[in-house]
Amino acid sequence: MRELQRYLQELIDRVVYLQDIKGENWEGSVYLLEDLKQLKEKFFQIPEKECHHLLESYETRLKILEDRAARELTPYEIVKITRNPQRFTLLDILENVYDSYTELGGEGDINVDPAVICARAMISRRVGDKIYLHQVIVIGHEKGHGEEFRNGGSAKPWGNEKALRYMRVAETEGIPIHFYIFTPGAYPIEDYPGAAQQIARNLYFMSKLRVPTVAFISEGGSGGAEAIGLADIRLMASRGYYSVISPEGAAAIEGKVKEGERPPRELVEFCARQLKITAEDNLRLGTIDRIVPEPPLGARRNDYQFFKRLRYEMIRATDEVILRTKSLKAFRSYALRRKKEEENPPEDFDIHVRWDLSEVEIEKLLDLRSKKYRQMSRHVLGLTKCSFRNYVEKTQDVGLRLYHDFRYGVLKQSQKIIQRVMEDLSGEGAAFLRQLTEPLKTAYDLLSTRPKRPKARVLPVEEGLVDLPELYVSPLALEDRTVTCPNADTRGCPDIWVPDLYGEFCGVCPNCGYHFPLEYQWYLSNIFDAKSIKEFNENIASGNPLGFKGYDKKLALAKKKTGRNSAIITFQARIGGISLIVAMLIADFRQGTVGVAEGEKFIQACDRARITKRPFLAFVHTTGGIRIHEGTLGVIQMPRCTMAVREYIDAGGLYLVVYDNNSYAGPVASFLGCSPYQFAIRSTRIGFAGPRVIRETTGEDIPPDYHSAENALRRGHIQGIWDRRELRKKLYEALLTMGGKNLYYK
Amino acid sequence: MALDNRKINQLLQSFRANPYRIFVVVTPHTGYLREFLVKEGDEVKGPTGKWLEKLGTPLFILEREKNPKTIRAKASGIVSKVNYELEGRFVEAFEPVLEIKHSLTQKEIIAELLRKTLHIVTAPEKARYFLSPELAKKIEKEGEGKVVVKPGEELAIMSFMKRETPILHEGPPMVVFRVFFSQGQMIEQGEPLFGLCLENERPYVEKLISRVKEEWPA
Amino acid sequence: MKDRVLIANRGEIALRIMEACENLGLDYVVVYTPGDEQSLHVKLPQAKGKACFRIASYRDANDILAVADEAKCTAIHPGYGFFSEDFRFARRVVKRNNPLIFIGPRWEVIRDLGHKLNVKKLAHDLGIPVIPGTIIPLYNELEAEAKAEELFLWQEEQGIEPPRVLIKAAAGGGGMGIEEVDDLDMVRPVFRRIRSYAKRLFGDDGVVIEVFIRDYHHLEVQILGNQFGELVHFGTRNCTIQSIGRQKRIEIAPGFDPKYTDYPFDAQKVLDEIVKHSLKLASYVGYDSVGTWEWLVTRAGKPYLMEVNTRIQVENEISARISRIKGKEPNLIEEQIRAAFGERLGYTQQDISFKGTSIEFRLIAEDVKHGFKPLSGIINRFEFPSYEWLRVRTHVPQDEPYRIPTEFDPNLALGIVWGKDTFEAERRGFKFLEGTIIEGQTPKGEPLLTNIEYLKKKLPEILKFL
Repeated sequence: MRELQRYLQELIDRVVYLQDIKGENWEGSVYLLEDLKQLKEKFFQIPEKECHHLLESYETRLKILEDRAARELTPYEIVKITRNPQRFTLLDILENVYDSYTELGGEGDINVDPAVICARAMISRRVGDKIYLHQVIVIGHEKGHGEEFRNGGSAKPWGNEKALRYMRVAETEGIPIHFYIFTPGAYPIEDYPGAAQQIARNLYFMSKLRVPTVAFISEGGSGGAEAIGLADIRLMASRGYYSVISPEGAAAIEGKVKEGERPPRELVEFCARQLKITAEDNLRLGTIDRIVPEPPLGARRNDYQFFKRLRYEMIRATDEVILRTKSLKAFRSYALRRKKEEENPPEDFDIHVRWDLSEVEIEKLLDLRSKKYRQMSRHVLGLTKCSFRNYVEKTQDVGLRLYHDFRYGVLKQSQKIIQRVMEDLSGEGAAFLRQLTEPLKTAYDLLSTRPKRPKARVLPVEEGLVDLPELYVSPLALEDRTVTCPNADTRGCPDIWVPDLYGEFCGVCPNCGYHFPLEYQWYLSNIFDAKSIKEFNENIASGNPLGFKGYDKKLALAKKKTGRNSAIITFQARIGGISLIVAMLIADFRQGTVGVAEGEKFIQACDRARITKRPFLAFVHTTGGIRIHEGTLGVIQMPRCTMAVREYIDAGGLYLVVYDNNSYAGPVASFLGCSPYQFAIRSTRIGFAGPRVIRETTGEDIPPDYHSAENALRRGHIQGIWDRRELRKKLYEALLTMGGKNLYYK
Repeated sequence: MALDNRKINQLLQSFRANPYRIFVVVTPHTGYLREFLVKEGDEVKGPTGKWLEKLGTPLFILEREKNPKTIRAKASGIVSKVNYELEGRFVEAFEPVLEIKHSLTQKEIIAELLRKTLHIVTAPEKARYFLSPELAKKIEKEGEGKVVVKPGEELAIMSFMKRETPILHEGPPMVVFRVFFSQGQMIEQGEPLFGLCLENERPYVEKLISRVKEEWPA
Repeated sequence: MKDRVLIANRGEIALRIMEACENLGLDYVVVYTPGDEQSLHVKLPQAKGKACFRIASYRDANDILAVADEAKCTAIHPGYGFFSEDFRFARRVVKRNNPLIFIGPRWEVIRDLGHKLNVKKLAHDLGIPVIPGTIIPLYNELEAEAKAEELFLWQEEQGIEPPRVLIKAAAGGGGMGIEEVDDLDMVRPVFRRIRSYAKRLFGDDGVVIEVFIRDYHHLEVQILGNQFGELVHFGTRNCTIQSIGRQKRIEIAPGFDPKYTDYPFDAQKVLDEIVKHSLKLASYVGYDSVGTWEWLVTRAGKPYLMEVNTRIQVENEISARISRIKGKEPNLIEEQIRAAFGERLGYTQQDISFKGTSIEFRLIAEDVKHGFKPLSGIINRFEFPSYEWLRVRTHVPQDEPYRIPTEFDPNLALGIVWGKDTFEAERRGFKFLEGTIIEGQTPKGEPLLTNIEYLKKKLPEILKFL
C-alpha cells in the first residue's frame, strides 16, 4: 500500500514538473493531473489491485506525454528545466560525484555569500581493483532547492571574491579546479569592489591560473558565468543553457517593454531561439567543448545515473587537460579511447593519470589556454580562410617583433647602462666630477636626440606637449541656442550658449563642471597630436553570426550611419610625441557594444602594442555591454580580450583605460575593468547593470548617483576622475609616469 | 525656552485652522510662456522619491534663447490660480504665473514650530548665505540635530556687497538643530538662518517633535 | 531702421549711457533686477515712457539678449563691470543669428587684452616697459626659483632694498592668489602653495613671478579708436588714492601736475612717454573703442604698463572735463557709441586740447576705520550743492528714502569738479564735500557712515609723492 502511495506521488511530481516546463494547460496534462488527484483522494476506497492497474495506465499516458515533451522541447523550455527547483544543484554534485568534501569559506546560510560554494573535494577513480583519489578544489554557484538565502545562485561581489581566494589556494597547492556554473547572472550591485570590478579581477587571474581547470555549465548567465568560467575545458549539461542575457531580459529590450511589465511569452520564446543558448548551439559555436548528456527532460536531484556520468566526464576532462601538456601522442590515444566509449561510458578507467604538472608543463598549459581562447569565435569573421594573407601578417608580425626588440630592446639596454653610470656619478660627492662627465653627458644627450636643456636641474616633464591648434569644431556648436545644465536646480548654473559650450568650454558647464556628452570625433581631434592617427583593421566587420532575425537591418543601419564596420576603432597615434596604440569603443555604433569583431580588433590592437612595445589606451566613449545579438559568441569576448590584456601587461606594457559617458556590463567586467590604471572623465557613469536591471533583480531603488564616477572612485574601481579639458595633459602625464619597464621610451 | 506649552497649543491650533500655504510660482527669468501644462484645480506634485530624484509635475514651458524649459512644481498641492493671459506672451523675470495651494506637511509644521521654539540666528543683512564648509561636513556626517557648535566657531559665510563675512556663533555651546537656508540662498535681513538649542533643551524639542508627529500623522 | 540701444547695466553708468543716447538721438531700453526699482536708472526712463524690463540678473546674458530681441534693439551697451570685458558675451552678441552691435571693442581685442599675461607679452615684444618678471606662466618650481633669483639680483643692482618678489596665480586677479616673498628660500614653498591654490580656484596652475613694486603712482591713459584705424588720446589720469582693497576713491586728470607739486623726475616727459607707448599698443592691436591703459610710475619716474581696461570706466568723465575738441568738451560715451556704429571721428589729435584740472570723488557708504567695510541701509537725506563747475552722477533719488542694494558695489554718487588749475580744483573739491549731506540708517538702526571725511582728509595728498 505504501509503495503504491509513493508511486502515485511520484507520478504527480512528474506531471507537475512537466507542467512547470511546458505550461499548465499543455496538451492533456491537466486532465491527467486531475485524474491522479482524484485517485489520491479516494485512494483508500479503491482495491489495491485496481489501484495498481490505474496507476500503470496513468504512467503509460504520462510516458507518452513526456516523450512528446522531450521531442518538442523549445530553447525556452530548456531554460525552464534549468531553473526548476527540482534540478540538481552543486551540493547534490558534491554529495554524489565526489567522495568527500569540506566546504571552505562558509557553510549553509552562515556564509560570506551562500550563492557561491568553495570546497576541498576528493574524486575517486577505479583502475582495475585499485582506487585512486584525486584532490580538487570545487568552486561553483549553489542555487539551492528553493532556499531564499542562496539568492538563486546569483553571486555577490564578495562571493566572487571568495571564489578568487580559493583559486589562489588551488594554485598554491597545485591541484586542479572544477568550476560549476549555476547562475542566472551576477548580483548587479556596486558594493565594494563592485560586481563588474570583481568579475574582471577573477577573469584576469584565471587567464594565467597555473593549475588545470575544468568548467561545467548548467545555467550560464552571461558575466556571472564568466566569473568562474575561464577554464581549460568547458563542459555543458545537455539541458543547460548558456546565454548572454536571460530570454526575458532580451525580450524586454527587443520588445521595448516598460519597467514592471512582463514581455509576452511568444517574444520570450522567440528570443530564446534567436540567442542560441542550448548546449548543441554552443557546441556548434565553439564556446563549449563537450556536452554531458542528461535524461531527455533534464536531470533532477536524485538522478544517480547522471551523477555517475558527470563524475566520468569531469575525470576525463581533467585527464585531457593534463595529458595535453605532457605529450601529444599520449593525449591522442587517450582521447580516442574515450571517444569510443562516449555512447556508453564504463564504470572504470583503464589508466590512472596523475593530476600534477611540472613547471614546463604549466607553461604549456597556459600557452594552450591562451591559444584556445584566442581562437574562439574567430571563425565567424572569416579571417582564417585567407591563408596567404594570414601568412603575410604572421611574417610581418615576426619582422615587426624583431625590429622592435632590436630597436627598443638592445639599444635601450645600452642607454640604460649609460644612464645608470650617470646617476652613480651625479650622486653624492660627485660635484667635482661634473667637469669630467659633462662632455660625456652631452654626447649621450645627443645620442638619444633629447635637446640639451640650459639647466640640468630642470626636469624634462614639460617638453613635448604643445597645445593643439584649434582645428576641430564640434558640429554641436554650430547652433544659436542655449541649453540648461542638469545641475541648474541644485548648483544655480546659468543656461549656456551652445557655441560656447561645445567650443571653448569643451562641453563642460563652467559653473559646476558637469560634462555634457561629446561625439567621439572630438576626442580624436583634441587628445592626439595633429595628424598622428593611423587606423588599422578598419575592415574587420561586425556581422550577424547567430542569424538573429531582424538584426541584419539594424546592423546595416549602424554601418550606414557611422560609416564604420564595427563599434571599435583601433589606431596608432601620438600624444606629445609619444606613440601609442588606442582602441576606442564608440557610442554611435550600436551603443559601443562588443561582439566578435570588436573583440578581435581589441585583441589585435593589444597584441600590436605588445609587439611594438607601445602603451595601450582603451578609450571608452560608451559601451552598453556585450552585444546581445551575438549571444555567447559575444560573451566569450570577455575571457578572450582579458587574456590578451593579461599577456600585454605581463610583457611590461602600460594599459590605460579611460571611461566617458556610460560604461556598463561585460566589457567593464572583463578587459576594461582589469586594468590597473582606470580613469573616468567627470560625469561618467560606470557600473555593471543599469538602474532598471538592478531594481528588477534586487527589488530596491538605487540613488541617482549610484553609478557616478565619484562612487566608482570611492570603491576603488577607478584611480581618478579627469576633467575633459585636461584630458590630453593627464594622458601625457600618465604615459610618462605609469606602466611597466618594457615600453619603448622607458 | 522661548515658548511654553500653552503657546505651542495655540500655534498647533492655528495650523489646524488653516493648514494651507499658497505658493506663488514665478518665472525664473524672461522668455516666452509657450504653454500651460496644468489648469486650475489640477493636483500637482513636488519632487518625490527617496532622493527627490523624481521631478515635480510640469507646470508650463518657458522658452528663452531657443531653449524651451519645463518649469516644474516645487511643492505639492492644488493649482488654485493660473494667469492664463500670459500664455504666448513674453514675460519678465519673476512674473507670477500660477498659485499652488499647498497642504502643510508634518515636516513643514515641525519646521515652523522650531522657528518659534529654538534660539534663532537671524540674517544680519539681506545677502547670500553659505553654510561654513566645516559645519556642512560635520552635519553631513552626523546629521542635523547632532552637531554642537562652540562659541567663536564659524556657522555660515555671508556674501555681501562682493565681500565674504563669516558669521560666528556667540553664547554657550549649542546644538545645531535646524538649518533654514540652502547653499547660496538670498535671505532677507532678519530671517532665520539657524535654529540652535542647548544640550539640555534637546529632550524638550524632541518631545515637541514627537508630539506633532503624533497629532499630525504624515 | 532706427537704432535702439539696450543698456545692460545699472546705476550711474546706465544713466550716463541714457544721456549719451539722448544726445545722439538714439532710442534705448533699460533692464533692472528686483531691488533696483527705486534707482533713478529705472525711475527716470519709466517717467519718460521708455521700455524697462525686469530680468533675473545683470549677469544673465540670456535674459539680456532675450530682452534685446523682444524690444527690437540693434545694439547693446554693457557699461562697466558685468559683461563689459567678457569677450564671450561680445562674441555672442555679434555672432548670433540676430546679430547686434556690441558697444565696445571687437571681441578679439577684448580677449587678447583681457589676459594680463598676454598684454605683458605683447607689450614686451613691442618694447613697452612692463614690470620685470615672467611673461609666460611657470609650472615648474625649479624654473620659478631660478627666475626669482634673477629678480632678486636685478633689484639689488637697482639698489632696491629690501628686494621683494610677488608670486601670483597667472589666472588670478583682484588680489586673490598673490603672495609677497623677500627670501629666496621661501620661493619654493610659496610657489607650491600658490600653484595648488590656482589649480583649485581657477583650474589652471600657471604661476607668474614679478618684482614687487612699492611707492608708485597709479596712472591711466585714455584712448579712443575706431574701425578706420583712427586713434586719439584724451590725456592721463592719476588714480593713486585708493582704499585698502585697492578700490579707487579719488581720481584726478591730468596724471601729474608739475605746477602743483614737485616731482623727483621730469613729469611731463613721463606722461608723454606713457601716452606714446599706450598708443603704440593700441595701434598694434587695432583698438576700436574707448579704453584705458593702466600704468605704474615709480618714485624714480620709471613707468610700467600694468593692464588694459577695454571698457568705459567710472572715471572717464574727468578726462572729458579737461579735454576740448575744437574747443568743445567731448562726451566719451557718445564717442564710444559713435565708434561702435561705425562713424568716423571727424577730428584728429591736433584738434584736441587740454584745459584745467578735474577731480572725481566717489561717495560711498562705508566704514573707513574698519577696513572700508561696505554698509547697507536706508538713505533718508541726500543733498549736494549746485555749481556750474560741479557735476554729480548718481542713481540715488533725492526726493525719497533709498534702500542700498546689497549685491553690488556700494557706490552712491560721483562728484566731479573742475578748476582752471589744480589749486582751484582742490578748493572746489573741498567746497563740494563740505556741501554734501548723506544721512541714513543701517539695518541695526545706527547712523549710516560715509567716506566724506576720508575724502576730505585725502584731498591734499593728490598728485604728490609723499
